[in-house]
Amino acid sequence: MFKELDPILHSQLRLAIMSLLISVKEAEFTFIKEKTGATAGNLSVQVQKLKEVNYIDVEKKFVDNYPQTTCKITEIGIAAFEAYVKALQQYLKV
Amino acid sequence: MNNEKQLSQQESLRLITEMIQKAKGSHFHENGTSAILWGAVVGFCGIMSFAQYTWKFSIGFDVWILTFLALIPQIFIAIKEKKNKIVKTHEQAVLDAVWVVYGISIFAVIIYMNTVPNASVELLAKDHIQLLKKDTLTGEVKPWKPFVLSATSILMIIYAFPTLVTGLARKFKPMIVGGIFCYGFFIASLFTSSVYDALLSGFAGICNWFIPGIILRNRYNKAKKALHV
Repeated sequence: MFKELDPILHSQLRLAIMSLLISVKEAEFTFIKEKTGATAGNLSVQVQKLKEVNYIDVEKKFVDNYPQTTCKITEIGIAAFEAYVKALQQYLKV
Repeated sequence: MNNEKQLSQQESLRLITEMIQKAKGSHFHENGTSAILWGAVVGFCGIMSFAQYTWKFSIGFDVWILTFLALIPQIFIAIKEKKNKIVKTHEQAVLDAVWVVYGISIFAVIIYMNTVPNASVELLAKDHIQLLKKDTLTGEVKPWKPFVLSATSILMIIYAFPTLVTGLARKFKPMIVGGIFCYGFFIASLFTSSVYDALLSGFAGICNWFIPGIILRNRYNKAKKALHV
């Protein structure tokens, strides 16, 4: 029996964000934007969706009068990502 | 990147791998400023100490005080680097912790080196013991305050530790070589007088931090230039 793939993660941009965040301790919005090549608007929406399901923590602050958004994967996010990769492996039999 | 695109399982796996690789490729952000600062300060202090002992002159203050003064620009550098950093890797977090512990350890050893001699005299005095030294030529006997023998050698072991850890973790050869050289200077210092220990300590600062710092700075400048072309 195949596990259903997590619909939150089974989307191109959200999966890219989670893959980046699983590799680092924390990353700024600008870093994620640069690496994914997404538009700020689209990225913002997907970051919000990941935050709503508690897969990531988002911290907003001002540094030298400029807004700075830092994202960090949560324990729930790590577990979901691991489950997603396991499910993928099952599908691909790797 | 389009979020609505439906991914196949193979595409998902490829995307995960690609993003992890992209995150991995972003680790080397250091511009070498801290390494240059500490390499220059420790190098200068060591060589200046050696010069003062050897050529019998004094600059009027303990030159190693400069290492404490260097903490002021270091704080500003650390704040600026933190502001400019757009990603923090797990590896960076561990290395930051290693350098903080290194700073605490150096501070602790300096306190140890300055406290133990007086404390030893007092503790021995409580037990009605006094250490004496005898001039074997004149036969003169004087009270003796013990000191930490070859203390600079101990400092050099600590200098080498975070440098080698950083070099190995980052696969950054200049720091690996600097760390190994520092252990070499430590071994050499076991057989030399404190005058030459000071000189070796200066060399350790130059090999450990100053040269790798300059290499880091050049890399950083090149990467920055490539980004703006």
